[in-house]
Amino acid sequence: MTAPSNSTLRLQYRQLYQNSLRYSLLGTRLTHRPALWNQVRKSHTVITADHVPLRKQLKDEARRKKADKKASPKSSKTLDPRLSRWELTVGLEIHAELNTACKLFSPAATSLNAEPNSHVALFDAAFPGTQPQFQKATLIPALRAALAFGCEVQRKSSWDRKHYFYQDQPNGYQITQYYEVTIGIKQIQLEQDTAKTILQPPSTYLLDFNRVGTPLIEIITLPHIHSPTTAAACVRKIQSLLRAVDACVVGMEMGGLRCDVNVSVRERGTTAEGLSEYAGVKGLGTRTEIKNLSSFKAVEDAILAERDRQIAVLESGGEIEGETRGWTIGQTETVRLRGKEGEVDYRYMPDPDLGPLIIGQDLVDHLKDILPMLPDETAERVVNKYGISTKDARTLISLDDGDRLEYTEAVVETVMQRLASLPEKQRFDKVGKVVADWVLHELGGLLTTAGVPWEIQTVTPEMLADIIVHLQSNQITGNTAKKLLAHYASLQPVAGAAIPSVSEIIDASGLRLVPLTEGEYVEMAQKVMAENPDMVKAVREKGQRGKIMWFVGQMMRRGEEGRVEAEKARLYVERLLEV
Amino acid sequence: MAIVLEIFFVSLSRSDLPGHSGGRDRDLTSASAQHFISKVKNVMLSARFCWRNASRSCQVYRKSHSISQQLNAIVHNGRPDPGKSADASGFLSGKTVAVKDNIVTKDLPTTAASKILTDYIPPFDATVVKLLQQHGAIISAKTNLDEFGMGSHSQHSHAGAVLSPFSKNGVPLSPGGSSGGSAVSVATGQCWAALGTDTGGSVRLPAAYTGIVGFKPSYGLLSRWGVIQYANSLDTVGILARSVADTKHLYGCINAYDQQDPTSLSATVRERLGRKGADAKRLRIGVPLEYNIDELSPVVRATYLRTLNALQNAGHTLQPVSLPTTQPALSAYYVLAPAEASSNLAKYDGIRYGYRTPGSDASAKNNLPLYASTRGEGFGEEVQRRILLGAYTLSSEAIDNYFIQAQKVRRLVQRDFDSVFAQQHPLLERQAEIPSDEGGVDVLLTPTAPTLPPTIKEVKQQSPVESYMNDVFTVPASLAGLPAISVPVRIIGREGDGLEETDVHDVGMQLIGQFGDDELVLQAAEVVVQ
Repeated sequence: MTAPSNSTLRLQYRQLYQNSLRYSLLGTRLTHRPALWNQVRKSHTVITADHVPLRKQLKDEARRKKADKKASPKSSKTLDPRLSRWELTVGLEIHAELNTACKLFSPAATSLNAEPNSHVALFDAAFPGTQPQFQKATLIPALRAALAFGCEVQRKSSWDRKHYFYQDQPNGYQITQYYEVTIGIKQIQLEQDTAKTILQPPSTYLLDFNRVGTPLIEIITLPHIHSPTTAAACVRKIQSLLRAVDACVVGMEMGGLRCDVNVSVRERGTTAEGLSEYAGVKGLGTRTEIKNLSSFKAVEDAILAERDRQIAVLESGGEIEGETRGWTIGQTETVRLRGKEGEVDYRYMPDPDLGPLIIGQDLVDHLKDILPMLPDETAERVVNKYGISTKDARTLISLDDGDRLEYTEAVVETVMQRLASLPEKQRFDKVGKVVADWVLHELGGLLTTAGVPWEIQTVTPEMLADIIVHLQSNQITGNTAKKLLAHYASLQPVAGAAIPSVSEIIDASGLRLVPLTEGEYVEMAQKVMAENPDMVKAVREKGQRGKIMWFVGQMMRRGEEGRVEAEKARLYVERLLEV
Repeated sequence: MAIVLEIFFVSLSRSDLPGHSGGRDRDLTSASAQHFISKVKNVMLSARFCWRNASRSCQVYRKSHSISQQLNAIVHNGRPDPGKSADASGFLSGKTVAVKDNIVTKDLPTTAASKILTDYIPPFDATVVKLLQQHGAIISAKTNLDEFGMGSHSQHSHAGAVLSPFSKNGVPLSPGGSSGGSAVSVATGQCWAALGTDTGGSVRLPAAYTGIVGFKPSYGLLSRWGVIQYANSLDTVGILARSVADTKHLYGCINAYDQQDPTSLSATVRERLGRKGADAKRLRIGVPLEYNIDELSPVVRATYLRTLNALQNAGHTLQPVSLPTTQPALSAYYVLAPAEASSNLAKYDGIRYGYRTPGSDASAKNNLPLYASTRGEGFGEEVQRRILLGAYTLSSEAIDNYFIQAQKVRRLVQRDFDSVFAQQHPLLERQAEIPSDEGGVDVLLTPTAPTLPPTIKEVKQQSPVESYMNDVFTVPASLAGLPAISVPVRIIGREGDGLEETDVHDVGMQLIGQFGDDELVLQAAEVVVQ
């Protein structure tokens, strides 16, 4: 068996990549950064985002997880006895930036961290006499999102102006649109984003119009959610779904997704009479809206705080006012921003410059055909194909934008190819499960310990596949396999320098397993027992079976590197100890 | 795989408005139309009342005609550019064209006669300006107008009122508006021709008041990229010239599809427009009964009748027709145009360009909305009135009663026209019952305005509602997006009794054609002038 040459490696990667690209063929760009293990991707990727934001993203994610852990003891709050009396109801309004190359109504490029005001068309800055030019390509990710949510796409829709004065809205109105939808989600609409405002204390505002006109979709759910945790999970799920269909790739951590929540509580067992109704859901308490939540944690905490505030008000005989409230991370209470009387009349008006939008059914059908599998479907497929647990499947899918799953599949495929050339008795079953374990636990653990982000890890699917094949066909011990993995994971790639293959290292370092004979095992076991009569006594007389493994450990240590197999050693020790 | 991604623009009216499908709008009887008119008058009056209270401190208009003999038609003079004019091959080579100051030019300031655009120099040229230059024309001047095109007499300008070269008892007459500066420039020979904009009659009315030709083509033919919006669903670039031939000549040079204007008609739609080989030798001319209103002045009526007689004698056929929505059309216009204006003018906040109030403009402590000072100081009286009116008719409490009703009236106006023209509307689906060819007319002939121009003194005494009445004959064609032209017809004999030497001696006659029938309208205009 020889190591695959560089060129075949590359070819395989390219095929893989093209598969994964199949949903990106319609002119939208990919912003995933290719992982180092798959460097070939780089040349194919239209735009490679800066490395820094991704690092930051990972850091933020880690920070969030830490914060979640810290916060978890607090969530014992949910056992609040008042909750048996009051029921919470939540609806979500999510704004997500679409993954498009240009803005909704101008050919200016969308950008993430570009120089302020470097991507602004005349219309974006609302110069007098300029008109919107609808960019058809922006429809594609919006339609993908609509399809991913099982929405029915309306054939004809129109553009409306929503008026309000604010410095981040140069035209004085936002152009928005409605799609008709079903199932739990009230509607998805396409609209323009605003400018970024940066406060320069004490009273100067700097405006960056790069973001103005970036297409957004607004997703409004029905008030069907009854717990803060579910609400946060729902936002997370919506984000992963949008990501899976390549509709929105910038996550909440980077401001690509923002969320407003509507919160109300009602006494359990009350009838619908005299209570509010929203989008056909009856019998709700008066709701308040919390604006601009920018993390999953904020969604959960803000709802929790608002629920408790509303219950407290109601229990003290007060009334909930329909109002808009704000939430700042670290606070324990929501803050009133404005009441109903302060609400803006948006004076909706059809935009006279923009005719109705007519979407051909053939376009919708085509997008439906090429829609990638959604996370739930993918999990099912992975479970069935590889026989791994649903939990592991979900973990694989959720990691690294699907990159981890793709990697796993590449390893499985390579392992299968290698196995085909091995003699029958050296083949093994459950390849998928073994590989998933190695990717998730061995490789994953190694990277976590070393603090190496996935994107820059250096173990190729071929390396891991070779290690697994050698291990499973009893050519090396588990210990050796782990050491090999650690060796490859710590490699600093040097341009042009050939990396020795797994079998080359095994042969060069004499790691190939030459199994001990029965006599050698017995001899070694007897020697250890003779040297440690107390331990023998402990097992035989006191029945401390746990000490058996101590003997195994001793044998492993004494044996030649890689030659002692723990399983076999245990068999002989047990036999000699007569237990 | 073919991916169909079509974007249709229905330029005439928004059939996709809520509650505006099928035949529902037929229920709008003349009784409810009357009711609608009275409601609109009420809201205009109440808006006026609001305005009076709000504007006590507002600046008083300064008469700028203290500089004697100045008609104040021009706000910026163009720079002669020998390099460009040297191109003798262009269709407009060496010809001077003045451009209304709400059409942007990157070489000259563009203010729309508003303080809010003080010293504003746009970073781009309007498409029509580019086309003029490409054909060798010299942009001779930017002309004065009613601020943002809102007015009928060119008196509401931050640059001061425009004066007509004609006068009565020594008092200047109204030059008409809002393209008054362009009209006066052409009438006084300061340029060969001029561009204006026509939203509800702003090219035709000043042409009629100054004795020249004013042409508003079908909506969607001339690019609006770079035309500062007043009411985009009505705004149309128009041409002012001393003859129909000059008008045609200029029109031919700027009539082109522009992908930067989403309402510009595409090449394929243009092919469907008009009639092949239309000729004006035997015209069927419609005479709308509803235009015979009490306010029609004797001299206008007499000239109108004489023109009709002359046409009949020349072998053309006259046919009385009915356009019942003519009166509600004016009310609908003064709901729709301000509504769009209130939206279009929301961009003027003093942040990115134009005038900005000294000091902070985000005074939360006074509980004023953002930019209240900038906008309060930057917009003139009439503009503020229309923004208020529009903001009200779009508000959630009023939109159903005003904006939506007005859209329905607009659709009825278009139906009125469709029912009298022999030619089918080229943008509408063909209906089963095609009107018989004999039943229809080719063009409609009406006066452009009910009276001769008032003096600017009389204008000042008019209430806003009275001055809106001036547009009653021009607004319907704007609402339907139809081509319309005003041509001067000489007042002769006893008709002109009481006219002074300095008075205007022409009456504007308006020809209206079916959508896309611009060629025929221009040919018919030649006939009427003869």
